[in-house]
Amino acid sequence: MLIENMKMAFSAIRINKMRSFLTMLGIIIGIGSVISIVSIGDTMRAVFADLYKDVGLTQAYISVAYWLDDVRQSDYFNLDDMARINENFGDEISYINTDGGASSDAVYGRTKVKFNYSGIDYNYQDVQPVNMVYGRYFNESDIKGRRRCVVMDTDSARQLFGMENAVGKSFRTTIYGSTEDYTVIGIYRKKVSPLQAMLMGGSTGGSAFVPYTILVWPNDYFYSIRVFAREDVDLDDFFGRLKAYVARMKGRNPEDIYMETAQSEMAMVDKTMGGLSAAVGGIAAISLLVGGIGIMNIMLVSVTERTREIGIRKSLGARTRDIKIQFLTESAILSACGGVIGVLLGVSLVTAGSLIFNVRAVVRPSVVVLAVGFSAMVGVFFGLYPASKAAQKDPIEALRYE
Amino acid sequence: MNEELIRMEDLAKVYDTGALKVLGLKRVNLTIRRGEFVAVMGQSGSGKSTLMNILGCLDRPSLGHYYLDGTDVAGMSSDELSYIRNKKIGFVFQSFNLISRMSALGNVELPMTYAHISRREREKKAEELLRRVGLGKRIHHQPNELSGGQRQRVAIARALANDPPLLLADEPTGNLDTAASVEIMELFGQLHRDGATVVLVTHEEEVAAFTERIIRFRDGEIISDEPNDPHEPEICRRLERNTDFEPKEG
Repeated sequence: MLIENMKMAFSAIRINKMRSFLTMLGIIIGIGSVISIVSIGDTMRAVFADLYKDVGLTQAYISVAYWLDDVRQSDYFNLDDMARINENFGDEISYINTDGGASSDAVYGRTKVKFNYSGIDYNYQDVQPVNMVYGRYFNESDIKGRRRCVVMDTDSARQLFGMENAVGKSFRTTIYGSTEDYTVIGIYRKKVSPLQAMLMGGSTGGSAFVPYTILVWPNDYFYSIRVFAREDVDLDDFFGRLKAYVARMKGRNPEDIYMETAQSEMAMVDKTMGGLSAAVGGIAAISLLVGGIGIMNIMLVSVTERTREIGIRKSLGARTRDIKIQFLTESAILSACGGVIGVLLGVSLVTAGSLIFNVRAVVRPSVVVLAVGFSAMVGVFFGLYPASKAAQKDPIEALRYE
Repeated sequence: MNEELIRMEDLAKVYDTGALKVLGLKRVNLTIRRGEFVAVMGQSGSGKSTLMNILGCLDRPSLGHYYLDGTDVAGMSSDELSYIRNKKIGFVFQSFNLISRMSALGNVELPMTYAHISRREREKKAEELLRRVGLGKRIHHQPNELSGGQRQRVAIARALANDPPLLLADEPTGNLDTAASVEIMELFGQLHRDGATVVLVTHEEEVAAFTERIIRFRDGEIISDEPNDPHEPEICRRLERNTDFEPKEG
């Protein structure tokens, strides 16, 4: 009986193709937008997770709060402070650095490119593996000896040196007021999707790593410390204790210590996505409501048009319930078809977008099933009134209907 | 098995239009035995349509009893009446009343669908019935691909689907030309000879002439109830002389 009802529903939809399509449009748009937004959210989340995995999920920046008015000399860190922290939490920290950086024009021949330099230690590759393609990475003596050498990515190298092999080449740049020649010792390949580049703010200049010792003199003060915890450490607990330790060290309250962790940033991204999804979810709900009303409207028309058919069916032995189920099946299928088309629309939009931004689209099957199921439910709900109207028709009147 | 298929006792139908009450049927007493071929005749407004609706369990009498195949259907609910229509009555209408989006086969299957008969059995039975009414080669045609006479044959096949004890035809030749009318009436005659009980509502004497008993109605009452000798009617003789009528399809 169910199969018969479904067959009849499909044939009714086929006969009024255009009308059925227009009726479904509300559902198509509603479900299409739900699917695309949820999938965009999921995709973004996956992209950010990837991004942070690259950057390091256990990472944190720590400094004395920038919002305090009474800035003291002791609020800044020096290398001794860093050493003390490393000593105290040594077996929980995998990497610690000064988070020092500089930015300046790099000059090679007639080429001049703006470069961002970040100071790193030789073991930075342990927490941030890079894919070296030419030359080598820093070693301990590069750092200790304050050698003027750099490691840069392929894009930056191309900007400065063109198609030439950059390893061994020197360029001139000014860091903290002193202009010197720096030698390229290695080139690595950075994998960045266009979406990631967009999110990080597509910088036009180049970027390069330099030994952190070049940026920090032994008696220098610096503003913040960058820490990578070990993978097996309980991050909340560790960061809490680290914060308390730094506060004690600097004679400040723990709440006056500013700490930014990769975790909290990710949570913020999730929250933003959640808010966005809720907003678009609301719009989709309205569109489904409008779509549902459209279905009810067209079902009422259909019931009137098919009054005679209802009469025939009743005369052949259809009970009230049979007629009701027939029309409910029809509206549910009409709506579910809209849902399926909406899913296809949403998935193709997301896939097209993911191809443009070169990221892997995430479409959860559970969302697809839920969307189609929900659209069928919309159909059943808005089909109830027309179906019971159809079922209650008097067979004699219905048979006489022209 | 009961000899009587239909028994109406003091049956009356009152239409309450609010302002006034109209008497559709007045105290009708009527018995039809199994295997009879009966015509109910009368002008429009005579009550024959009301009788037809009540006979077909599409409507309920206001007073009295209507025993169909031994059960009193007078006080039944609309869903119970649906069940009775499905099992006990085969309808043939003036305007065929086929569902236009379904094939001949699908239309014949429909009463069996509502009787919850399995798909395979339905198809087999429907094919058999269509062959029996001479449409074995057209089972997959849509109603609009068939002539009037062929459509009415599909309707008759459909009426026979659940082997109902009563075949009820309401002006079955009203929309047909004379040749097709004769074919359809001959088909009814054949079904009657095979044992079916056929009740025919009509206002055409030529059609009634095919039956074996004629009940005449006027103003909601039976005015005559006489046996009829089904002779070869006048139109048939006229048709025999006219050779260019549509040949019967096999």
